[in-house]
Amino acid sequence: MATRHQPIEYKGKVIEFPFDNPVEETIPDSELHEHLAKPTTERTKRLKARCRWKHSAGGEFVEGDVKAGIERMRLITEAYKKDTGKPHVIRRANLLSNLLNNCTVIVQEDELIVGFNAENPNFVPLYPEQSYMACMDYILDPKIAPQPVEEAKELAEFWIEHSLQKKCETYFTQHELEVMYSMSTLETPGFATGFNSVVPPYETVIEDGLLKRIEMAEQHIAVAKEVLGSENWNAPERLKLLPQIDIWQAMIIASKAAIAWARRHGRLCRIIAENFETNPKRKEELLMMADICQRVPAEPCQGLRDGMQAKWFTFLICHALERYSSGYAHKPDKLFWPLYKASVIDKSFQAMSHEDAVELFECERLKISENAPGKSRGYREVFPGSNDLFIFTLGGLERDGSDGCNDCTDAILEAARNIRTTEPSIVFRWNPKGRLKTKNLVFQCVRDGLGYPSIKHDIIGTQQMMYFAQFSQNKNGATIEEAHDWANVLCMSPGLVGRRKTQKSRSEGGGSIFPAKIMEVTLNNGYDWSFTGMQSGLQTGNVEDFKTFDDIWEAFRKQYRWGMDLMIRAKDVSRYWETKILENPFISAIDDGCMELGRESMELSEQPNGWHNPITTIVAANSMIAIKKLIFDDKKYTFAELKKALHSNWEGFEEMRKDFQNAPKWGNDDPYADEIVKAFYEDIISGEMRKIVNYSGGPVLPTGQAIGLYMEIGSRTGPTPDGRYGGEACDDGGISPYMGTDKKGPTAVLRSVSKVNAATQKANLLNQRLSAPIMRSDKGFKIWLAYMNTWHDLNIDHIQFNVVSNEEMKAAQQEPEKHGDLIVRVAGFSARFVDLSTYAQNTIMARHEQDFEPGDFEYLGLEL
Amino acid sequence: MANCLQCKSFFPIPEGADDFEPGKGDCVRQEQDAKGKWFESKPVMGDTPSDKCPKFAQKK
Repeated sequence: MATRHQPIEYKGKVIEFPFDNPVEETIPDSELHEHLAKPTTERTKRLKARCRWKHSAGGEFVEGDVKAGIERMRLITEAYKKDTGKPHVIRRANLLSNLLNNCTVIVQEDELIVGFNAENPNFVPLYPEQSYMACMDYILDPKIAPQPVEEAKELAEFWIEHSLQKKCETYFTQHELEVMYSMSTLETPGFATGFNSVVPPYETVIEDGLLKRIEMAEQHIAVAKEVLGSENWNAPERLKLLPQIDIWQAMIIASKAAIAWARRHGRLCRIIAENFETNPKRKEELLMMADICQRVPAEPCQGLRDGMQAKWFTFLICHALERYSSGYAHKPDKLFWPLYKASVIDKSFQAMSHEDAVELFECERLKISENAPGKSRGYREVFPGSNDLFIFTLGGLERDGSDGCNDCTDAILEAARNIRTTEPSIVFRWNPKGRLKTKNLVFQCVRDGLGYPSIKHDIIGTQQMMYFAQFSQNKNGATIEEAHDWANVLCMSPGLVGRRKTQKSRSEGGGSIFPAKIMEVTLNNGYDWSFTGMQSGLQTGNVEDFKTFDDIWEAFRKQYRWGMDLMIRAKDVSRYWETKILENPFISAIDDGCMELGRESMELSEQPNGWHNPITTIVAANSMIAIKKLIFDDKKYTFAELKKALHSNWEGFEEMRKDFQNAPKWGNDDPYADEIVKAFYEDIISGEMRKIVNYSGGPVLPTGQAIGLYMEIGSRTGPTPDGRYGGEACDDGGISPYMGTDKKGPTAVLRSVSKVNAATQKANLLNQRLSAPIMRSDKGFKIWLAYMNTWHDLNIDHIQFNVVSNEEMKAAQQEPEKHGDLIVRVAGFSARFVDLSTYAQNTIMARHEQDFEPGDFEYLGLEL
Repeated sequence: MANCLQCKSFFPIPEGADDFEPGKGDCVRQEQDAKGKWFESKPVMGDTPSDKCPKFAQKK
């Protein structure tokens, strides 16, 4: 039977909590999520049933047929070898052109949106030009190796000398590389892992079409050549035009290839319709799809089907074919509103109903679920239960300050609620002006345990875009209007969307540093005794000699600063080489800034957006609290005693461990703890990071989050003064209380988090788990809305939710085959529970399920 | 010797297509696995010998 929340006495009344859907009274807690999926059509039901999931669990692909493809490696290498002597950006364009002209194109039965990133719908492509090590992860694993494997090995080895990794490593000492590659205090840099992100300017493809972009580039070349040939030759002025001409030429090559590739899909649809398909309805559909692929992305989109297909083609090229980038950053409700209006409301082009639109968005979710890159094993482990980070953003405000929610927003949310997939994840920009109807759909997704939308504070994000705009090196940062157009670049950090000024590389913002491990090495004079056995940091002194709390505070600061300097140097060295060998002519072609200025997408940066991710900060912060309390305030223990206990993993020191575990903890609205954590975040985590000036000329700010790294780094971090054993998971979000330590209720957590000034941070992930019986009751929306409005008024950057019972998770551990639809929020992404390792599953179960009490209702100003 | 032009899977690329070349076509095949069916297309020159192609099927 289902668990109904017990009645609560509040303001003289007894408040009951019957289920919002009475049918749920009879559904056992242990199987609730299996009853929630309601695909809108038989088609999406079929597509989900046969979805070729690319999820990984423990670094292994869950589905046995998933393997690496060889086609991309082969075709880019063939082109690159032929093309020596040409300007490099043209070589990159020809590389893309050879790939798009000669790759296999695929149309699967039943699908409405076509296009895939490899030669077989079960395959993932590889990127030897980005990371040799990531390719070898596949080549050395017979289960997933590309075939023929000897050829794949040769291709990978060809690229070593030409790869980003090889170019960048030269600028670091052996020790620096060892520290970074050990992935324990610092994340291995992107030049070695190949992990990347981008925000494509979809708008120009949708609004202009690629033929117009080609025409623009041709005109620029014509004007440039006129200038070159004009009277009174002036070398300093005119030689600058040469690389610009190359870039525009590369844009033309890439755009023409993209058009031809899209049309190959159209031709395939037509061939299937005319020669193979016997079902008249499907034949008609295929002919419609043939027409769409013929027109887009060559021409501007006119209806919603056009838009979905053009966006999908653009996504594949930007994220999977020209180069690998994680993510799906865009704002589809804004991007597609004119097309939704044309098709659904005006019915002037590709007329359809709202339900047809929902079906299309469900199809998109399933296309994403089948799409994965050939990421390294390490990164497959970091996103357990998912295939990659695919996150788009909804809501917020329009440029004129009006509500950004519309019926298209709703269709996208309904699709997410109905079809139940882990990807793409959704971010909702919360603004008081956001309409209630849409917020209710956000609630329904959250209540149904999808773990998304995660919620971002709209005003904080917009103000942040304005803040970074001031550092623009060409004085063309975001205007006040443009600052409203932002989406999360990956899980957490805002970045502009639109026709220009978007983030083009993870070397601008992304990558991690691990404060828990840094705390551990700080306590050992920079030495990592528990994992690498090497000097991982600076020698900042033996803690046994420290006399004041300031001594440990400043020692940590030095270690952190050293790590941060190294991390941003690694990213900017990478950026330097990306401008030289990883140009993206297609992305350049669709960016108005690149087009206008004749500059390449990796080189041009109009809007700085620097950030880096501290992950495992709360373990470090809680450790600082415990040290101050027990060593310096109460003087109950010495550092020498603490170190001895830690080096024994607390064995033989159980009482001592309890004392450190029971020291004040973050997340309970405790002034003692919160004052220390506030200073930690503002003075050190942000204060040191923002002293750095990155490639784009702006500061770097911290984006606290976790993804799956709180488990991986936890496993590499020894015991810590917060009472944690060595190898245990760390905190699961940038500013989330440590699992199980937030004991004073949901509003106490909000009060704690609100004390850290959000303007000093880029973002901070707050994971909360809310009571399923409360959320599923007929009062769930009212309570959650009041909670969210309070969260907003407290000026907190972010929040995301798990709503799931331990009963259901335990049942899924026992019989995983019966719980395929159980989804949980890990951190920054959602995952299928049964695809997580037991270690990961247990961390979700350990998260405190926040229940609401009368004191919380009072604080939220609720009338029930 | 048989070549791709004579195969059922060969569909000439129409003149006017962006990737048209005389003699070039799409090799279109239906594939299937436990999850379902799909069609795939790869460019091929009609005069490519097909003696080593396991999927060659003579056009009628």
